[in-house]
Amino acid sequence: MSPASEAAAGVAADGRPVLVTARGVRKMYGEHAALDGVDVTVAEGMVYGLVGPNGSGKTTLLSIIAGVRRATDGDLALGLPRSRMALLPDTPEFEPWLTAHEVVDLARHLVDPSIPRERVGEVLVDAGIGESMHRRCGGFSRGMLQRLGVAATLVGEPELLLMDEPASALDPAGRREVLNPIARQRGRRTVIFSSHILADVQEVCDTIGIMQRGRVIYEGSLEELLIGQAVPTYYVRLRGDESRARAEFEREPWVTGVEVVAPGELRLSVSDLPAAEQGIAGALARAGASVVRVYVEEASLERAFLELTS
Amino acid sequence: MSLWKLELLRLRRTWRGPGLTVVFLLFGVIGPLTARYIEEILGGLGTGGVEIVVPPPVPADGMAQYLGNAQQVGLLAVIAVAAGALSFDGTADIAIFLRTRVSSMARLVLTRYAVYAGVSAAAWAAGSLLAWYETWALIGGLPADRVLLGTFLGGVYFAFVVAMVVLASAVTRGAVGTMFLAFGIVVVPQITVGLVGGVGEWLPGHLAASLGALTAEATDAGDYVRSTLVTVGLSAAALAAAVPLLDRREV
Repeated sequence: MSPASEAAAGVAADGRPVLVTARGVRKMYGEHAALDGVDVTVAEGMVYGLVGPNGSGKTTLLSIIAGVRRATDGDLALGLPRSRMALLPDTPEFEPWLTAHEVVDLARHLVDPSIPRERVGEVLVDAGIGESMHRRCGGFSRGMLQRLGVAATLVGEPELLLMDEPASALDPAGRREVLNPIARQRGRRTVIFSSHILADVQEVCDTIGIMQRGRVIYEGSLEELLIGQAVPTYYVRLRGDESRARAEFEREPWVTGVEVVAPGELRLSVSDLPAAEQGIAGALARAGASVVRVYVEEASLERAFLELTS
Repeated sequence: MSLWKLELLRLRRTWRGPGLTVVFLLFGVIGPLTARYIEEILGGLGTGGVEIVVPPPVPADGMAQYLGNAQQVGLLAVIAVAAGALSFDGTADIAIFLRTRVSSMARLVLTRYAVYAGVSAAAWAAGSLLAWYETWALIGGLPADRVLLGTFLGGVYFAFVVAMVVLASAVTRGAVGTMFLAFGIVVVPQITVGLVGGVGEWLPGHLAASLGALTAEATDAGDYVRSTLVTVGLSAAALAAAVPLLDRREV
C-alpha cells in the first residue's frame, strides 16, 4: 500500500481551476475501509453536494480534504492552501464560556487578523444570531450552535467551504436558517456540502457526488443526474375498477411497466415522455375509465439516488 | 481575539487561575501557622498522656511546612488544572475549530504552555511570598536572597510539571488520562532512580525541595545548577516532542 500523497490540482474541462482532486483515496480504520478508492473533482465556484447514507464516508472525505485526518492511500491534489479552506463539522462545539462574538472574533484573528473586526458582527447578523452575539454559547441550542459555526466559518472569507451535514439534526425552521446563508454563497465561493437529506442538497447544490460504502458511485451535475437516471413516471387515479385501463396501458409500446399501487390507482413507467403525453388520454378513453387525476412524478434526487444505490 | 487572550479568559472564566492561586495562598497561610502553633495544636488534640516535646520553632520551619503542602497537594492541583486546559483534543469539535485555523500547532501548544506554566509558577510564588511574610510575623525573618532563589527554582519546577502535562496530552487524549500519565512522568522517576545515591540531585524534584533546603541553609545556590539545567532541558525536550506528536494526530 503506497502512502497517500498530496499535490497541486489542475484545471477542469471548462477551464475553471480545480480546487480538489481526489484519485483512489482510501482510508482504513483497522480492517474497515471508510474510504475505498474515492475519486472526486471539485472545480472553483461549484456548490458540490456530497450525498450518501450515514457511514458512507462523507465525513472522512471532508476531514481528509481539511487536513484533520490523513488518507491511507491514494492521491489528493489541492488547488489552494489549507489556510484558505474552512471546515464546519456536523456538531460544531465551542468553549462554552466564550460569547458568540468572541468565538467568531477568535476565528477572524486566527485566520487573518487584518480582517476588520466589524466583520464579526456582520457575519453573526447574517447567520441569524445577531441578537445573541454577547451571550455565552454554553447555553445555545443545537440550531444556534450550527449558525454560530456558519458565522465562524464565513468570517475568514475562505475560498473553499467544507460543510459536514450542517442542517441534518435541525427542525424545518432551523434547517432553513442554516441553509439560507449557505445558498447565498453560490457564485461567491466554492462549497462542498455533505448531507443525507437529499432535499437540502437538491435545493443548494449544482453538482453532486453520490457516495456508497466508501466509494463515489456518481459524480456530475444535478441536472444530468435527474435527466439521465430518473425514469419518467405517471400516476393515474380512476373511479372504480382499474383492470381495463391496466390492460389498455400494457398494450402501448411506450409503457414499460404498469403497477397497481392502490385500488383504482396505477403507476406507469414510460420510455418516451412525448408519446405518453399524447397516448394516455386515448388509452383511458378506450378503457372507458372515469378519470379522477393524472399527474407526472417530478424527477427528484431522492428517486435518482434510490435507483443508483438499489 | 488572540490565542493569548483566549487562554487568559479560560483561566478567569473557568476559575482555573483563581482556584490554583487560592490553593497555594491557603498553604502559604497554613504552613507558618502550623509551624508556630504545632505544640498548641498537638496539645489541643490530646496525646493520651504521652508527653511530646516540640522544639521551639525556627523561621525555616515555616517555609518547610508550606513546602510540604505545596509539593504534594499543590503538585496535584497544578497537574489537574493544566491537564484540563492542555487536553488539546479532548473535545473533537473544539479541536477542529482551533486546528483548522491556527497557522501551526506549535503556536497553539506553546501559547497554552506559556500561560499555564506562568500561572502555576505565579501561584506557587504567591504562596511562597505569603508564607515568607507570615513566617517573619510569627516566627522570625529569613534571608531574602535564599527565599527568592528557592521561589524561583520552585517556579522552574512547576513549569517543568506543566511541560510534562503537555507531553502527556500528546500521548493520550482525555483530561483524566493526561492527568494520570503526567503524574506518573513527574513522580515515578523521583521515587525510583531519584533514590539512588546522588542521582536525585540531578532531577527536577531537587528543585521542588529547594525552598526548604535553602532557607534552612542546608544547601547553596551552586547545588542547584545541575538540576536546573536538567529540568530546563527536559521541559524543552518534552515540548519539542509534543508539538509534532500533536500535529500528526488525527481528530
